[in-house]
Amino acid sequence: MSLELIDVHKHYLTRDGHKIILRGAYGKIARGEKVGILGRNGSGKSTLVRMLSGVEAPTRGHIKRSMAISWPIGMAAGFSGQLSGADNARFIARLYGRDIQRITEFVADFSELGEYLRMPMMTYSSGMRSRLALAVSLAVDFDCYLVDEALAVGDTRFGRAFAEKIERSGLILVSHSPALVRRLCTRAAVLDQGILTFYDDLDEALATYNAL
Amino acid sequence: MGIREEVAFTLRGARMQRRVIGALIIRELHSRFGRHYFGYIWLFFEPLLLGSAIGFVHLLQDHSARFGPFEFYAVGYILYFIFRGVVNRASAAIPSNMNLLYHRSVTLPDLFFARHLIEAVSCIGVMLVLMSALFVVNGEIVEDPTKIILALVGMTLLSQGLALVAAAATEAMEGLERGVHALTYLILPACGMFFLVEWLPDWLQELALWVPTVHLFELMRDGQFGSRFMAHYDLGYVAAWILLTHLLGLAALRITRRRLGLE
Repeated sequence: MSLELIDVHKHYLTRDGHKIILRGAYGKIARGEKVGILGRNGSGKSTLVRMLSGVEAPTRGHIKRSMAISWPIGMAAGFSGQLSGADNARFIARLYGRDIQRITEFVADFSELGEYLRMPMMTYSSGMRSRLALAVSLAVDFDCYLVDEALAVGDTRFGRAFAEKIERSGLILVSHSPALVRRLCTRAAVLDQGILTFYDDLDEALATYNAL
Repeated sequence: MGIREEVAFTLRGARMQRRVIGALIIRELHSRFGRHYFGYIWLFFEPLLLGSAIGFVHLLQDHSARFGPFEFYAVGYILYFIFRGVVNRASAAIPSNMNLLYHRSVTLPDLFFARHLIEAVSCIGVMLVLMSALFVVNGEIVEDPTKIILALVGMTLLSQGLALVAAAATEAMEGLERGVHALTYLILPACGMFFLVEWLPDWLQELALWVPTVHLFELMRDGQFGSRFMAHYDLGYVAAWILLTHLLGLAALRITRRRLGLE
């Protein structure tokens, strides 16, 4: 079970001409691995996340998925502001064919939202919203979590529970912060000017990134 | 892949799609109406009220002696209501649900199928209510209810095909949704709601029968009071429209999907 990139190209047509995000990327991430992908702002990290998650298609090449990869955690993944947190959780449970009862119990326990779980999500603060989204994504139980840097896994009770859960599954963390990658990952890749390079050695990746 | 694997693969896909559409229906119901029962009642009352209003207007200027204005216009309006609702909402369906695509199992057509199922079921419900009311008040008995249901289903499918095409077109060209809205009203005099084909002069009859919705109105009225007039419809023609618009719309949405940039 893995995620495999085979000659993946991606470019956009923008007003200023062709914007190249990826030119022929190869790589393989096995189940359970914790991989960081480092890139400067504007290097195309978010696009890469969307492609890895499968919502956006590459211009050329293949991305083969043989494990369950989460939606990009930290991106607004179809949570409706009009629905309560609990209703949103139930929707995701139905969508992924999971047991509704089990999911809602997990979310209630993990998100620590209490009474708010039954209120429309538009009344939530941004912190509450991300806690709910995280809880729901963890409840679904993916093989690999795709995490965008926007996520703040602080040293809170919630943050520790999240890190512990991630520890038992795989992680792809896309970030511009070497510190975060060092803390959560065992291996890393660097995205720079359309070239995605995987390094087996974390220090080598971080050194390359810092030298950019 | 052998045939057996092919079948298993297709079945798995079908089960997945059923699950996705089911989840979307419940989500749509909850977010459209909240968790209040009033919302669900509104789902039925909106077409019922509008239809009845139109029935009343025509009650005041009764001009066709053979049909009650209610059974003609109010019932006719329900059929038009499906068309209007489905086609008008088509252009908003993708932008307002874009973020759902982060879940890989959700496809663009699923977004439409879920909405249209709700639309069809509620309109069939409204129709049953209206029919029962007409029976209680006027003692009128529908001649063939299956034809009425068939017309409602046909109208939903035809509107769905058009909606798929309209959605793909508005994604490709911004601002087109205004044209779509205008068209749903401009088609009103021609869609078959206000006339029976046999009322028209010959040359106009031929023209009217090019419009697919006219066949569906004739079919529905054949079910209501078929023995009192000469119905003109060709279900093969409607089926061809449904098939063609679906093929075109689904193909266009595939292209749309590849081009869609999220956030």
